[in-house]
Amino acid sequence: MIRLKKAGKLFIFLGIPMIPLIVFWFVPMIVSLWLSLTDWDYISPTFNYVGMDNYTYAFTSDDFYQALKNTVVFGVFTVVPTIIIGLLLAMLLREGLKGITFFRSLMFSPWITPMVAMSIVWAWIYEPDIGLLNQVLGWLHLPQPEWLHSSSSALWSIIIVTVWKNAGWAMLFYSDALQKIPRDLYEVSNLEGSSWWQKMRTVVIPLVSPTTLFLGIMLAIESIQAYDQIQVMTQGGPSGSTRTLLYMYYQMAFEQFNMGQATAISTIIVIITGILALTMFYASKRWVHY
Amino acid sequence: MQNNKKSNLKQFGFYLLLTILGILMVFPLIWMLLSALKSPGEIFAVPLKWLPEVAQWGNFKEALELAPFGLYIFNSTFTALVIVIFQFVLSCMIAYALTQMKFKGRTLVFNLILITYMLPTEATYVPSYTIVAKMGLLDTLSGVIISNIASVFTIFLLRQAFMQVPKDTIEAARAYGAGDFTILWKIMIPMSKSTIFVVSLISFVKMYNNYLWPSLIVKSEKNYLITVGLNKFFTSQGSFADKWPLIMSANVLSVIPLLILFIILHKWFIKGIGDTGLKG
Repeated sequence: MIRLKKAGKLFIFLGIPMIPLIVFWFVPMIVSLWLSLTDWDYISPTFNYVGMDNYTYAFTSDDFYQALKNTVVFGVFTVVPTIIIGLLLAMLLREGLKGITFFRSLMFSPWITPMVAMSIVWAWIYEPDIGLLNQVLGWLHLPQPEWLHSSSSALWSIIIVTVWKNAGWAMLFYSDALQKIPRDLYEVSNLEGSSWWQKMRTVVIPLVSPTTLFLGIMLAIESIQAYDQIQVMTQGGPSGSTRTLLYMYYQMAFEQFNMGQATAISTIIVIITGILALTMFYASKRWVHY
Repeated sequence: MQNNKKSNLKQFGFYLLLTILGILMVFPLIWMLLSALKSPGEIFAVPLKWLPEVAQWGNFKEALELAPFGLYIFNSTFTALVIVIFQFVLSCMIAYALTQMKFKGRTLVFNLILITYMLPTEATYVPSYTIVAKMGLLDTLSGVIISNIASVFTIFLLRQAFMQVPKDTIEAARAYGAGDFTILWKIMIPMSKSTIFVVSLISFVKMYNNYLWPSLIVKSEKNYLITVGLNKFFTSQGSFADKWPLIMSANVLSVIPLLILFIILHKWFIKGIGDTGLKG
């Protein structure tokens, strides 16, 4: 009787609330893996098993490698600057400063706004002939790139927007971490007369390393999922220069309805994310100081 | 005295630097507002004009006449709110079970949730889309809502908050004959209310700003979320040069609800976000 009661309680507290998670997370993950072995086109009720064909197709197509390269470049060059800018902002806005909440709010505000809306604003700022950015660059006699209109600069333009939007978010995590550094550590290094860089290297960077690790993982995973800014600003163009793996997956699935190939790409994305998360966790054991 | 003056100057320089950085960060937002108030001639001016000669407040009215942004904003706010409420209820129960109930496979369930936390949602979209279609919920707000009510992020953070609740308090309540629902409602939730509030805020912002998934689900204009409606407006009007001030006005409209929320609750965002997630 008691066991039955316990099972009933468990069913109410865990069983029922888990249903959405099972239906929209666990099951789709497995079904997606299974679909990647078929040639389903969404419309027809039947499909054939094609084994690993979708994967071999991906691994032998140039588009895939271009998208993979774009994903890696986008990931590295959004995560690293976001982390550095976030840390520098947090150090600048140290505790006890007058008006600190106001300044932090200014730096953080881009994060609140919808990426879709901000991408439209940035597309306007990036306009080569009449946009704000190139006019300002013109006054300063600096080169005026074509930004979103050229395949050599489009990805970098999207990277800038993404870093701009996330830097304030990273700053908040670092502010919290910096606050937890014991004051004496700073004072010791002050007494020793260490330079700013020495202090960074010996005190700040080691002590905020758990935060760096956490942000590194979260931002890297987020960078793999970047979609809104690409969709609004370039739709993967010009000539595929901003097509990441995720965008490729979206196009295959919801523009071409090639579900087999799309889910193969999504499986690859999941594997990359998994490897990334695992490596970072293991790396943490080596160099993170808790 | 000399020293004092010097440090005053230094402090002034420091604040100047902060102000410049702050303005640079919010400049795209300022530029959006200024552009929204310009006439088509001014917005395309070379060399550029910083300020509109006469603020064209009518741009907002015109944008609202071209597309029902009020409805889109309502749809977004409504769906985000309902999603957050469901996420709260479901996640509280799961987090309670994971922290307060002993059962076989508890670690397994938690590990499954933890793995899901790391995986990209997008990988589930093809099957999830089919599931929503099978439920007959394509092109409905319910479709957007139901597919988003499972939040691994919320479960994860609530579990951490619930683990901080002192065991003695819970045991004392149990000794007085309190049931699980009473403990959850009267002890766990009140003691974790700041985490719950911050997590709900973040979820709300994320759901309001969500684009890819809702854009797949909703098809007809009456169900557009603001992000979907805004991008549709941008792609349909962006090729007409004289419509750019209206696009910027629409942008401003879409951002305003969140900016108001942020201005009122900025302290919660600033204090709360750094705190969450790193306690584990």
